[in-house]
Amino acid sequence: MTSGFRSTLQTAAAVTRMEWRLEWRQGHQLAAVALFAVASVYVAFQSADRQTATGAWTAMLWLVYLFSGFTAIGRLFDRERTANRRYLQWTVDPLGLMLGKLGHAILTTTALTALVLGTFILFLGWPEGLESAGHPWWLMGGAWLGGLSMTTTLVFVTAVASQVQAGGGALGAVLGLPLLLPQLILATRLTRGALDGTPVAMLGEMPLFLAALSTGTSVIACILFPYIWRA
Amino acid sequence: MSSWNSLWKWGSVALLAYVIVRGFSTPLQPGLVESSPSRLAPGKHALTLQAVGQPFAEPDAESADFSLILRSGKELVRTDITAITPHSVEADVIIPEAVPSPAMDAFLFTPEAGTLFLGNAFFVEDAAVGPLPADLRAEAPTEVAPDLGFSFPYQPTIVESIRNLLWHVPMWFAMFFVMGIGFVASLAQLRTGLVKWDLRAEAAVRTGLVFGILGLATGSLWARFTWGAWWVSDPQLNGALVTVLLYSGYRVLRAALGEDERVGRIAAVYNVFAFVMLVILLMVLPRYTESLHPGKDGNPGFNSYDLDNSLRAVFYPAVIGWGALCYWMYTLRLRMNRVEHHLLTR
Repeated sequence: MTSGFRSTLQTAAAVTRMEWRLEWRQGHQLAAVALFAVASVYVAFQSADRQTATGAWTAMLWLVYLFSGFTAIGRLFDRERTANRRYLQWTVDPLGLMLGKLGHAILTTTALTALVLGTFILFLGWPEGLESAGHPWWLMGGAWLGGLSMTTTLVFVTAVASQVQAGGGALGAVLGLPLLLPQLILATRLTRGALDGTPVAMLGEMPLFLAALSTGTSVIACILFPYIWRA
Repeated sequence: MSSWNSLWKWGSVALLAYVIVRGFSTPLQPGLVESSPSRLAPGKHALTLQAVGQPFAEPDAESADFSLILRSGKELVRTDITAITPHSVEADVIIPEAVPSPAMDAFLFTPEAGTLFLGNAFFVEDAAVGPLPADLRAEAPTEVAPDLGFSFPYQPTIVESIRNLLWHVPMWFAMFFVMGIGFVASLAQLRTGLVKWDLRAEAAVRTGLVFGILGLATGSLWARFTWGAWWVSDPQLNGALVTVLLYSGYRVLRAALGEDERVGRIAAVYNVFAFVMLVILLMVLPRYTESLHPGKDGNPGFNSYDLDNSLRAVFYPAVIGWGALCYWMYTLRLRMNRVEHHLLTR
């Protein structure tokens, strides 16, 4: 049993490595996500004109983040539509594959958080009346954790949506957006509190909820994924 | 066997007929809603207290069976009732130069409805803080147990809309119930791969969606009445909306998969996921976050109005009636699904 679990983890690591390597080799897809994120930030910057209240600031940040997340994760199972799928189906344990994809989602989230948050602060500056964030670490951590709960949910939704032969991308959005609402509400509240410098005791529960939601959706995804994979 | 098959269906219709008639015809117990003027300066004033619900009985000329008493701090202030109409009480009161507390509560002792209470009914302006003069003090009359017959309890701000309890809550219960059937059917589908479970799951989700949408609509109506807006941002409401959207997603997914032979399995996977999210969104998350919605704040049940026996006598039949109607609708849809499947695979 232990060796089985170990081989699953090895598979997962191998899948994550493969995904990441393929991303680098086919650089245009990575570049497309980055371009999308930076262009969205720039549009936000142009329309906001450096005079943004905290509420609008967080709203725009999460809109940019949400759609960048969709572009990044939405094509996670694209490769598995073709001959690659048949090869993986015979060679790879589905749980390992799912864990590998989730690992890839964690890496993507980390990169995306750094990129979106960095460019957002670079262009838009801080919200009106603030010199810097009240709790910079909470802002970063909250953005990362919020992003993580978003991407882990999207991994599962994308896995389901990619089963549809045509128009899987649009279906991913239809299925994914309502599911992301609770996470986004929590994440916007958390980042807003971190910006305002709300006492940490009042923010304390929200990261726990976000972490619980990410873990929960990941666990359900791992349990259910084998059924889709072998369908 | 077949007689039982039609019996429970007619039973549900009969229960719902009883619920609708009883729910709308039962009077509401009287309650105080408003006082005028709401601010008083020291001196003599004529007060009017407005009431809703069952009208007050004609006062008995012989005995002074109504009495209105104001409470300031821990002391009671005497008033003289001058007139009683079916939905209001008028009284004269003398406000002294000093009162124990500027916020005054009103207690109306009635012969039939027991004691009616209106918190912070009046505010005393321009008065010092001090004990009441002895001649203005009142003794509390002996309380009479209310004798109103079959009536619904009065709740501040909810008032007449308490009748919505018989629609809104059982509709969500029915939705939970039928989505639970769908969940079990989807688990069975994943285990066995048999199409009969898929037909069940599809019928359950379709029926559950109808009740979910009805639950949202009745809830929105209630929110407009009690909170003043058709929709507010609240964990419970967000969860309810997301749940309905989630199950709409199930139908979109099925439509997108079309004739694909894997539709049963993929839809089952999504449905299991959706039900887990439903439990998290509607039963777990709202408990741990601040919610305006009753029955939250870590409390799984309802508030005190649930304990009222007359309301229970209609609420429990409503739960059974809506649940049975929902199950009936589900069986009808299931039969249609079976026929459709039969025709398509013939």
